[in-house]
Amino acid sequence: MFAVDLRPLLPALIVAITALVVLLAQAFTPKGSRSPSMGLTVTGLAGALLLSLTMAADARYGRGATTGGTYVADDFALFFHVLLIGLALMATLLSPAYYRENGGERGEFYTLMLFSLVGMLGLVSTTEMISMFVALEIMSVALYALAGTRRDQIESQESALKYFVTGAFASAFLLFGMALLYGLAGSTQLARVARGVASASPEQVPLAVLGCGLLIVGFGFKVASVPFHMWTPDVYEGAPTTVTALMAAGVKAAAFGAFLRVFPGSLPALREEWVPALAALAAITMVIGNLGALAQSNLKRMLAFSSVAHAGYLMSGMVGQSEAAGQAVLFYLVAYGAVNMGTFGLLASLSKGGREPLSLQDVAGLGERRPALAAALTVFLISLTGVPISAGFVGKFYLFGAAVNAGYTSLAIVGVLMSVVSAFYYLRVVVAMYMREGEGEDAWAAPEASARLSLLVAVVVTLGLGVWPAPVLDLARAAALAL
Amino acid sequence: MGASNYLLSLLLLLPLLGAVVIALAPRANVGLQKTLGMAFSLATFALSLLLVTGFEPVAEMQFVERYDWIPAYGISFHLGIDGLSLWLVILTTFLTPVALLGSWSSIEQRVKEFNVFMLLLEVGMLGVFFALDLFVFYIFWEAMLIPMYFLIGIWGHGRRIYAAVKFFLYTMAGSVLMLVAFLVLYKETGAVGFGLAELLKRPVDPGLQFWLFLAFALAFAIKVPMFPFHTWLPDAHVEAPTAGSVILAGVLLKMGGYGFLRLAMPLFPQAALEMAPWIALLAVIGIVYGALVSLVQPDMKKLVAYSSVSHLGFVMLGVAAFSTTSVTGAVYQMLNHGISTGALFLMVGMLYDRRHTRDIAEFGGLKTVMPWFAALFLMVGLSSIAVPGFNGFVGEFLILVGSWRAFPGMVIAASLGVILAAAYVLWMIQRVLYGEVTNPKNEKLPDLSPRELAVLLPLVFLAVYMGIFSPQFTRTIEPSVAALVRDVRSAGAPAHNAAALPAAADAR
Repeated sequence: MFAVDLRPLLPALIVAITALVVLLAQAFTPKGSRSPSMGLTVTGLAGALLLSLTMAADARYGRGATTGGTYVADDFALFFHVLLIGLALMATLLSPAYYRENGGERGEFYTLMLFSLVGMLGLVSTTEMISMFVALEIMSVALYALAGTRRDQIESQESALKYFVTGAFASAFLLFGMALLYGLAGSTQLARVARGVASASPEQVPLAVLGCGLLIVGFGFKVASVPFHMWTPDVYEGAPTTVTALMAAGVKAAAFGAFLRVFPGSLPALREEWVPALAALAAITMVIGNLGALAQSNLKRMLAFSSVAHAGYLMSGMVGQSEAAGQAVLFYLVAYGAVNMGTFGLLASLSKGGREPLSLQDVAGLGERRPALAAALTVFLISLTGVPISAGFVGKFYLFGAAVNAGYTSLAIVGVLMSVVSAFYYLRVVVAMYMREGEGEDAWAAPEASARLSLLVAVVVTLGLGVWPAPVLDLARAAALAL
Repeated sequence: MGASNYLLSLLLLLPLLGAVVIALAPRANVGLQKTLGMAFSLATFALSLLLVTGFEPVAEMQFVERYDWIPAYGISFHLGIDGLSLWLVILTTFLTPVALLGSWSSIEQRVKEFNVFMLLLEVGMLGVFFALDLFVFYIFWEAMLIPMYFLIGIWGHGRRIYAAVKFFLYTMAGSVLMLVAFLVLYKETGAVGFGLAELLKRPVDPGLQFWLFLAFALAFAIKVPMFPFHTWLPDAHVEAPTAGSVILAGVLLKMGGYGFLRLAMPLFPQAALEMAPWIALLAVIGIVYGALVSLVQPDMKKLVAYSSVSHLGFVMLGVAAFSTTSVTGAVYQMLNHGISTGALFLMVGMLYDRRHTRDIAEFGGLKTVMPWFAALFLMVGLSSIAVPGFNGFVGEFLILVGSWRAFPGMVIAASLGVILAAAYVLWMIQRVLYGEVTNPKNEKLPDLSPRELAVLLPLVFLAVYMGIFSPQFTRTIEPSVAALVRDVRSAGAPAHNAAALPAAADAR
């Protein structure tokens, strides 16, 4: 018999099928008529989102493992499903106007974006290392191409190439780490690896530690932690802004999902070894990320360094005990995802005629010219700084709480002090918007309805989670317990 | 009692609602925005008076409300007031409409945002005074920074951006370490959540107390501000618009002293009593230093700003001495400072509106040109230098008397500050009000308008009223203070040498 229950795979399958349909529809659309890509993509994503929500709400439907136990739909995976599909939906709504203003709407964007989403969904749902690697590659390869979709721009090509080369490096480290763990445990199933590592003989331990170290390097590349962050500013700057939004919000979330499954989820036996390493990386990531951001004048580069800094905050949460750590990281990924999608999306939605607001001068006077957008950007920046009443504050509170509870008070101190440093560069944007006069004419586009909807969602999530975090915290806790 | 069960949340919701309503009001109709701002702040003030009428002069928390917020972590939206906070709450609701009326015609740009931020600031300030849960306290404490930052940065004077960013970073830098201290406290005491009452039941290890107290003290000392953490204050005060200075001096500076009394001292009694002499020393340095710097200021607003460093030094001396008398005096002095310094900032602002300068040398002989202004300026000045019959006298007297047993030497040094205060205020008054009108630009200055009188008269009235009828206020403050002092002293002193503590037997 060859009966496979495909229901756990269904959301990812819907996304993949949508990607193929969009590709075909693009090919068969006569030249000159309106492309149906966006409508199809939104429909497919909305379907997948609804299905994931149903599965998350109803524990009887579609749960469990499939394809020989390599792919599971548990609370953890479904939490990420909702987050990642939601983020992809927001990116889709933000993209058409951006591409129209900056070099033609293309069907490939939707297809590639959907494929990278399939990869992300796989990454957080798989419990087997080879599948994890394959999912990572599906996500990454699609993103390499996406980063280069502004073909006329040299920066976009540079971004694609850099991302590809460093990404390949990261994959190699990851693969080698997996191979070492496989050699130790005799299986690529994470559950067996966990047992193998727990019962490793003294002479096997160095092998396990080396495997762990290589995995940290690989994940470190993907989440943009120092010292594996070098690619981040160039790639974030060169990629089309809505793709950057997806990278910053979605890729980071998916990579942390896999990070959590492997480390606190499957390697608790080696906590003594990897927790100090992670703590050290978190500390230097927070310091270098924030100091790097201070020196940037380009907003996209500044946000790239801020994304490095946030990888550090997230990693300092991971040193906590697995349940508290997972919960804090999951909550923060939601907060951070919404905020980043909002910030990059806002910059993208203002772009007009091939230009987008990239410098402080570009946003000067925005408070008077576009009060609503400036208020939204202020909310996002406040959340990134971690000031109440925003999702970012509650998130950081739990991340640092997890670190303190695990005995890493010094890490929390570094984190909060670096948050003060970050206030300085985030405030520069607020200063420019509200306290300086704009020069010349207002040169920016009025965001269209779909983009405004996306930004509104980001604002509502950011403020909503700041005021009423309890429901999402509970969901994050339940998800973390599934690890 | 009915509505009084929800009084505190209503007091938070009303200005918040006002901010939302003003934000939705039509942008062109500036008059409507001003009227709405005034109406909502006055309504909040009126509502807050119900607290006074319903308040019992006992030590317990009153008007307590509690709602689950993040139940899994024991965080609840827990509000209440006692004698420490009651009058600070009234001061807040009183100064907000006063500040709005005071800047009725001086704020012309982005009136809508101005009113929104003033009301949001009021919500933040009230929240800090209401909070009985550390998480709630921190939320309001930090959230308050944002509207103040905008008030300074958008409507301030020449170096407003520098001052706004400095204010924000200084205050945030102080408070983030307190946040880490919250987390450590939570872990070490094994408490369920961050409720103050719950944490107070769980004594903290003395060695750890020292570090945690230091983290709290840094946050509060910056806010007070105590010497040497005061350097943000002259910038922020001088660059802020008048309304911002009034609120900053009137209410925000009190948060530091309040934080010491509400959180830092009761949570870490041993460390607090151990460190008290150092706090007192810094307080006295602040008193003398602030007064000396005020003495040489050519700019009136800077003079008033530095005088705040000096006045708040008295408050901190009273807090450090930690007797019932001195702490009651400290709380009373916080109120006095809010009224007299608020009035001084308003009056300096009124001169600035007329002449667009605050240089003392530019004025002189205003008594003949603006008799009403001169009379009120003199009265506010006398209140500020604690002349008997005015409110300031009561506060400073209680502080000095109450601190004598613990720190006699410091009290003598602080008395020097009283004399210096008389010198810098009276000298300023002499140069501004008396003599001949030397500058022709001053000859035609209009006297106070009815609106300006309406702003100042309540403040001057209170300055006198609180000087004469002080027992009406201290009667409600004292029971809470006495309970606080008793609890901290008994928890802070090791049993065997409790008798040796000089102020253990409080002289009342």
